[in-house]
Amino acid sequence: MEQTNKAHRQSGERNTAKKKLHQGGHNAKAFAFNAPMKLQRAAMRTNDVNEKKLHVPMVDRTPDQDPPPVIVAVVGPPGTGKTTLIKSLIKRLAKTNLNDINGPVTLVSGKRRRLTIIEVGNDLNSMVDAAKIADLVLLMIDGNFGLEMETMEFLNVAQHHGMPRMLGVCTHLDLFKSQSTLRSSKKRLKTRFWTEVYQGAKLFYLSGVINGRYPDREILNLTRFISVMKFRPLKWRNEHPYMLADRVTDLTHPTLIEQNPNCDRKIAIYGYLHGTPMAQANARVHIAGVGDYTVHSAERLPDPCPTPYYEQKLEEIEREAAKAAAAAGEAVVKTKTRRKRLEDKQRIIYAPMSDVGGVLVDRDAVYIDMGETESFVPGEERGFGEKLVTGLQEVTKSMEEMFDEGPGLRLFSESKELGSKTLAPEDSDDEAGLLSELESEEEEEDDVARVNTGRTSMRQARVVGKPLNEEEDNDMDSDDFNDEEEESRAKTEVVDFGGQEELAYASDSDLGDDDFVGAATRLRGSAQRKWNLSKLIYTEGLEPGEALRKWKQEEEEEEENIEDDEDDFFQKKETAASNADLDTFVPFFDDLQTLKEKFTTEAIEALKSRFFAVSKKPSGEASDDEIFGDFEDLETGESKKETSSSDSDADSNADSDDFADFDAEEKKEEEEEEEEEVDQTLTVDEKRALNAKKKEKLRLQFEAEQGDTFGEDEGEYDTWYELQKAKMAKQLEINKAEFEAMDGSTRERIEGILAGSYVRLVFNDVPPEFIENFNPKYPVVIGGLLATEERFGYLNVRIRRHRWHKKILKSNDPLILSLGWRRFQTLPVYTTSDSRTRNRMLKYTPEHAYCTATLYGPLVSPNTTFCGFQVVANSDTTGSFRVAATGIVEDLNSSVEIVKKLKLVGYPYKVYKNTAFIKDMFSTSLEVAKFEGASIKTVSGVRGEIKRALSKPEGHYRATFEDKILLSDIVMLRTWYPVAVKKFYNPVSSLLLSDKADWKGMRLTGAIRAANAIATPSNPNSAYGKIERAERRFNPLRVPKAIQSDLPFKSQISAMKPQKKQSYMAKRAVVLGGDEKKARELLQKVATVRKLKDEKRKAKKGEKFQEKLKKMAKMADIRTEKEKERKKEFFAKEGKKRSMGSSEGNSEAFGKKRRAY
Amino acid sequence: MSAIPFQGHRNFRIRLVLATLAGKPIKITKIRSDDLNPGLRDHEVSFLRLLEAVTNGSIIKISYTGTTIEYSPGIIIGGSLTHNCPPTKPVGYFIEPMLYLAPFSKTKFSIVFKGITSSKEDAGLEAIKWGLLPVMEKFGVREAALHTLKRGAPPNGGGEVHLKVDHLIPQPLTMHALEMPKIAAIRGVAYCTRVSPSIVNRMIDAARGVLRGVGVEVNITADVWRGENSGKSPGFGLTLVAESKKGWRFIAEDIGGPGEVPEDIGVKVAYELLEEISKSAVVGRNQLQLALCYMVIGKEDIGRLLLNKEQIDENMIYLLRDIKKLFGTEVYFKDDDNENCLVATVKGVGFTNSSKKIA
Repeated sequence: MEQTNKAHRQSGERNTAKKKLHQGGHNAKAFAFNAPMKLQRAAMRTNDVNEKKLHVPMVDRTPDQDPPPVIVAVVGPPGTGKTTLIKSLIKRLAKTNLNDINGPVTLVSGKRRRLTIIEVGNDLNSMVDAAKIADLVLLMIDGNFGLEMETMEFLNVAQHHGMPRMLGVCTHLDLFKSQSTLRSSKKRLKTRFWTEVYQGAKLFYLSGVINGRYPDREILNLTRFISVMKFRPLKWRNEHPYMLADRVTDLTHPTLIEQNPNCDRKIAIYGYLHGTPMAQANARVHIAGVGDYTVHSAERLPDPCPTPYYEQKLEEIEREAAKAAAAAGEAVVKTKTRRKRLEDKQRIIYAPMSDVGGVLVDRDAVYIDMGETESFVPGEERGFGEKLVTGLQEVTKSMEEMFDEGPGLRLFSESKELGSKTLAPEDSDDEAGLLSELESEEEEEDDVARVNTGRTSMRQARVVGKPLNEEEDNDMDSDDFNDEEEESRAKTEVVDFGGQEELAYASDSDLGDDDFVGAATRLRGSAQRKWNLSKLIYTEGLEPGEALRKWKQEEEEEEENIEDDEDDFFQKKETAASNADLDTFVPFFDDLQTLKEKFTTEAIEALKSRFFAVSKKPSGEASDDEIFGDFEDLETGESKKETSSSDSDADSNADSDDFADFDAEEKKEEEEEEEEEVDQTLTVDEKRALNAKKKEKLRLQFEAEQGDTFGEDEGEYDTWYELQKAKMAKQLEINKAEFEAMDGSTRERIEGILAGSYVRLVFNDVPPEFIENFNPKYPVVIGGLLATEERFGYLNVRIRRHRWHKKILKSNDPLILSLGWRRFQTLPVYTTSDSRTRNRMLKYTPEHAYCTATLYGPLVSPNTTFCGFQVVANSDTTGSFRVAATGIVEDLNSSVEIVKKLKLVGYPYKVYKNTAFIKDMFSTSLEVAKFEGASIKTVSGVRGEIKRALSKPEGHYRATFEDKILLSDIVMLRTWYPVAVKKFYNPVSSLLLSDKADWKGMRLTGAIRAANAIATPSNPNSAYGKIERAERRFNPLRVPKAIQSDLPFKSQISAMKPQKKQSYMAKRAVVLGGDEKKARELLQKVATVRKLKDEKRKAKKGEKFQEKLKKMAKMADIRTEKEKERKKEFFAKEGKKRSMGSSEGNSEAFGKKRRAY
Repeated sequence: MSAIPFQGHRNFRIRLVLATLAGKPIKITKIRSDDLNPGLRDHEVSFLRLLEAVTNGSIIKISYTGTTIEYSPGIIIGGSLTHNCPPTKPVGYFIEPMLYLAPFSKTKFSIVFKGITSSKEDAGLEAIKWGLLPVMEKFGVREAALHTLKRGAPPNGGGEVHLKVDHLIPQPLTMHALEMPKIAAIRGVAYCTRVSPSIVNRMIDAARGVLRGVGVEVNITADVWRGENSGKSPGFGLTLVAESKKGWRFIAEDIGGPGEVPEDIGVKVAYELLEEISKSAVVGRNQLQLALCYMVIGKEDIGRLLLNKEQIDENMIYLLRDIKKLFGTEVYFKDDDNENCLVATVKGVGFTNSSKKIA
């Protein structure tokens, strides 16, 4: 018999329930909730974290095409290595060395990014201005000191102007000797920095300096970090255009300066625009530290530091143009091709105020850096050219004087001298010519060209009303028409748009039928000209009627008008026009008859495209009946019942709607049928294409239906946040598309000059001090102003003294605010709201709490934050924290209602039952009359009311109280006295000073008192003292016997009779004896002994303690000695380092390091 | 800041209102200077008073002859007040400019206007209620209402109207209206005071007779005022509103003058409504001013509005020039697919309601 073995079972079989569970892909058990509450909490936390990440959606108005350079501000106390860092960055990014860094340096840092690096000095004005414009702040921290006062001040200033991105850069780390201290101090610094900026803020560590620069690797890391950094739009900067001045030039005519060195200057400021687009014409701006100005002219200049990306784009455009030209058969202009990688050539640096390359050329001037050697020194000329120049420099007399004195003018060294005599007659003629000054320029040119032989023909005078030169006028005017906007109305009338030969006739216009006109057109040549509507509308001199006619191209009328104009130029104005009401609501309509004629049935039929329910077949009466079935009887049957008509209207409403829907539906069905038919004959691809087309059509239709709401219903977007984002993106897209459709000049006029463009702003009437005391080390910030910001008024602000500022702030003490673009001194009045009934003035700001303040100044829209300082001058800085207050604008107004508590005190001089006569509160009865009915109160709390003034002693009055008052009481009246806020506004014009860090405004009250040695006034009544009240003694109440007996029983005075018998205790005396006496004696002895012992012990302890004290004093002495020595050593070393780094001009003010809290 | 100069009495109200919004001082000279009766009229002075009442800190200087005024605007504060309108102009003359200011004020507007409620030239109550408030709603002003407390026909008036704007907005929404709205219905109100109610029905019938051809629902309500709420004079009028489903309206209105027959008024208003529709695209000519101004004071974005070429008339050019003088904004006109239409492209000035208090 064969052995039967158990059949082999395959191991890979999966048939268990457990295994089946895993087969489905998703293992449900593995993801089951273990603890639902925990899960819920976890989910909640994730949601919280996600929500916290969100910011209020804000439109980013920086153009994505060619954004302005990122402004990098390098901030730090003197000696922390700011200049070294900038030099290192420049070396890294531009591969050049700058010895003397003046003003902003713009560099290309990547394909699409440029950086403008500025060094910020340590005066408050620079710090404030830099904080307002910087996109990125490199906060330099000396690793040995930690965060210093300047750093803290800057942080706090920046925080209230929209906190730019912060990068900490820790330097001087090579001074740490041991690694462990380095590590620990790094950690300490990091945590401190995090608390100030935000948790996880990046802090860079730079070790020592090599070759005057930081190590390349570390700088490389830093630049990489900067070049990928993203920036969030900040509210203020997203609403204003602003600019950091790259360069400032004086455009004033030299003769004006010569005549009056203190004349107002015309200056040009160059720089990249940031923020929103700036209006092209008449933009109002504030130059921080100078004042408010209107931009006289703003002009876009070619970008001096273009990004490689931009250049590439230009290249592409050029190439396209070349291609087009080649296609047209023109000669191809060769363009050089650029590579796509960032080359050294593209690492452009633009620092007009520093010494890059030595030469700078721009519109207004050429600057040549001659280096160290001095040129053009008289007597040491090198070459003929220099000699010529120095020769010219020596000249002391004018040409005329030389003629008068010398033999004559010699044009060349070998030539004959020209005598003054030969010139004399012509001279006089010339003078006459100059005097008349009416000659046209060509004539003058002619005169110069020929030898002046006097006039040979009639002078052509320029007469008002007739063009100067006929033929020139004709071809000039037609294209110059648009440029004549500024010219006066009279001028435009004279010019009469002379190029009528170029005026177009609409090809389809029915006016053209007129034979005469047609002939005229042919005669004059019929070049088509389409008038630009915008131009016509905004040409000031052009009458609107005229403009309309031009636009609609109704020539024949125009011609008539012109003739009329010529004839009746000085015709009397019709007064009818002035009588007409030109401010009405109802627009002009033709009269009823014309309208009736216009709206025939056909016209109405044509208009039906504007209505929803369009009937299919031409509607006779019958179809009307069908549609308006309910109307019919009403209309014919002379409707009388109003209610029924409206009811039926409602019905018909529903009917007509249904009908419309039905109509649409029918159409749709038809379409579908058609499509189906088509479908059968198509291939798959074609079908797909058709589907895509359909979808696109649907999408477009949907969008069109949504119109301005962009899919407002949240179906498309998960959250409100996403919806808002999408809306903004869509709006930006629309903006871009619209602007791109416009031509260049129109776009600039409507959109303004875009951020990112390099502009030259010209200002008139700038104080000469600005130019004379110009120092490129201080940033010049130009900020655009909105309409509100130019008005003055009262601002109600919520304000708080900064907790690090040592003194509380006093009402009406000057405070320098940095609000908006401006820095100004003003006199705030601090107030608090008394349960919302009144604003009560406070003398001082409260501790650790917000209060409101009202101040006068330029209005800034609510929700703007600001910070305030008491002093900005470095010379007045004491070393304590200078940011005095921070706050936010709550409300703007033109008037204020602040009151101050006023307590009037009076004394009763006659007291009746509830009535008393009060004196010394008022001085006249008129005053009393004003306060009649006012409630008064005595010190003890008895309330009363002022009744009436007494006639006799002026100012005394009668008052009633709820109870009888004492003659010794004091009566008080609590009233409110209005407080006016002083209209004081003093802009901080620091840029006009020669020492820009030393602007001093109105002094603080305390400073004036200190300077004049005036004691702070104090009312002795207000002083707190010890209150000493004499105990009042009252005599016992004695009631005469006669009265006593008459008193009713209830009021009987019950007194006990005096005791006559001796009491029990009085009768007995206690005498000690026996054991008790002995025991007491013993106890006394024991106590005496113990007391003695204790005394001895105490004395001994005292001695020991004295010894110990002596010992301790000795130890302390030794310790202080050691400490002193160590300090001496340390500061000897540190001081040296500091004196080396004090290249900053401002460091004198901070001779001593100020340590932050 | 130097005052912006204007001349003449044209666009008197809108110039002052825009100056208030822009916060710029203006000077208007030559106000009817060559008229036999030169200078400001009663209603204009009354309007100045109203403007002074709803603002704080405005300075108005009127020259001795009344031909020159200087106005430096203050802050719009609004509030509740009563304004007595002079008999020369109806309340609509005063309400209309308030619609520009009300949403941008410090406190809510609640003004009771007393006087005549209708006239031939100025906005009637229904025109404001059904014509202008919906336009404001399109720009984001939702809670604006005009309550008619009493009607007062000219010449004696005696009407009372309450304008209430409860919605303070930071800035108007950006408008994109590029589709010609299709009119879904024509509605209207025929009203009368102190005359026989049958007059109303006669107007309605006449109007309906004209509008029968257009093929949409026509629904005209009769509004007969009796008793003490009906003012001091007899009068009647008709307002027709053509409305689209998306809330755009076209309006035409008229009132019965002396010797006019109600049927004539009905027919005239109906034809004028058709004319208005044929001459306009998205908004009617009388709403255009409001729409454009709201677009100008919008965000710094591009807003677009479809216009009919017929809508570009002298008034509009004057308005655009005034806007340019005060705000520096130009409106750009772009051709539309529809050859009768243009697209007005406006970039807002980035105005924000600075008078409103925060939190």
